[in-house]
Amino acid sequence: MVNRMALTDLPVFQALKSKMQWHQTRQGVLAENIANADTPKYRAKELKSYAFSDHIGASSFGIEAEVTKAGHISGTISASSKGKLDKQNMFETTPSGNNVVLEEQMMKVTENQMDFQAASTLYSKSLGLIRTALSKSA
Amino acid sequence: MDLIKSLFVSASGLKAQNGRMRIIAENVANADSTGRTPGEDPYRRKIATFKSHFDKEVGGEMVQLGKLSEDTTPFEVRYEPGHPAADEKGYVKAPNVNTLVETVDMREAQRSYEANLNVIEATRRMVQKTIDILRA
Repeated sequence: MVNRMALTDLPVFQALKSKMQWHQTRQGVLAENIANADTPKYRAKELKSYAFSDHIGASSFGIEAEVTKAGHISGTISASSKGKLDKQNMFETTPSGNNVVLEEQMMKVTENQMDFQAASTLYSKSLGLIRTALSKSA
Repeated sequence: MDLIKSLFVSASGLKAQNGRMRIIAENVANADSTGRTPGEDPYRRKIATFKSHFDKEVGGEMVQLGKLSEDTTPFEVRYEPGHPAADEKGYVKAPNVNTLVETVDMREAQRSYEANLNVIEATRRMVQKTIDILRA
C-alpha cells in the first residue's frame, strides 16, 4: 500500500499536534471547573497528565516514496510502526475528588495557556525549518 | 471539546454569576423594604443557587442558575410605633437582609466572574496562537 503523507504527518508535527490537542481538551476541563466553581456537589476535574508515549499511538510516521515501477527502491526513511492514532477523545478525565479551588484552577489555566503557546511556537518554528529547506536562498 | 466550546462553558459561568449579582442587587436594594400595612411581611432575602448540567451540544458541564430559594431566617423587629406597618405593640418587621453578608457575597460573585473572564482571555490567546501558525 502506498503511503501518502501530508506535511503535517511528520513526527514532529504529529507530536506537537497531539500536545496541542491535549492542551485544548484541558482548557475545556478547566473552564468547566471554573464555571462550576460555585456549584454545589461539583467535583473538580482534571485531565490525565500528558504522557508522550500514550498519545503518540504511532500511525505510520515513516516517509515513503511512491513506487511506480518495479525495481524502484522504496525510499522509506524511518521504519513505520503500524498502530492506531487515537482521535480527540483519547484523553480521559479523572475526578480529583477535591472541590474547586479557584486560585489553583487559575494557575492551571495560565500554565496550560503557556504550554500551548510553547507548543504552537515550536510548531511554527518547525514549519520555518521546512520553509528554509525548500527555499532557494536559505 | 475544542477551544471555542470552552469559551461557551466560561460564558455560562459568566451568565450564572451575572444572575447571582442581580439577586444580590435585589437584596441590597430591598434592604429597607418593609410592609405597608400593619403586620405585613417585609421583603424576604433571596438566595441564588447554581446547578451544573451537561450540555450535549457543547459536550461539557455548563452552569446555570437553579431555583431561587428564600432565606428562612426570621425577620428582625424594630420598635417604631409611627410606622404604617407597625403592629398593635408598635413593632415593625424589617427584611432579613444583612448588607454585610450581601457585600461579601457580591465580592465572591465578582471574583468568580473575573475568574471566568480570565479563562476566556486565556482561551482567546490560545486560539490566537493557533491562528498565528498560519501566519508564520
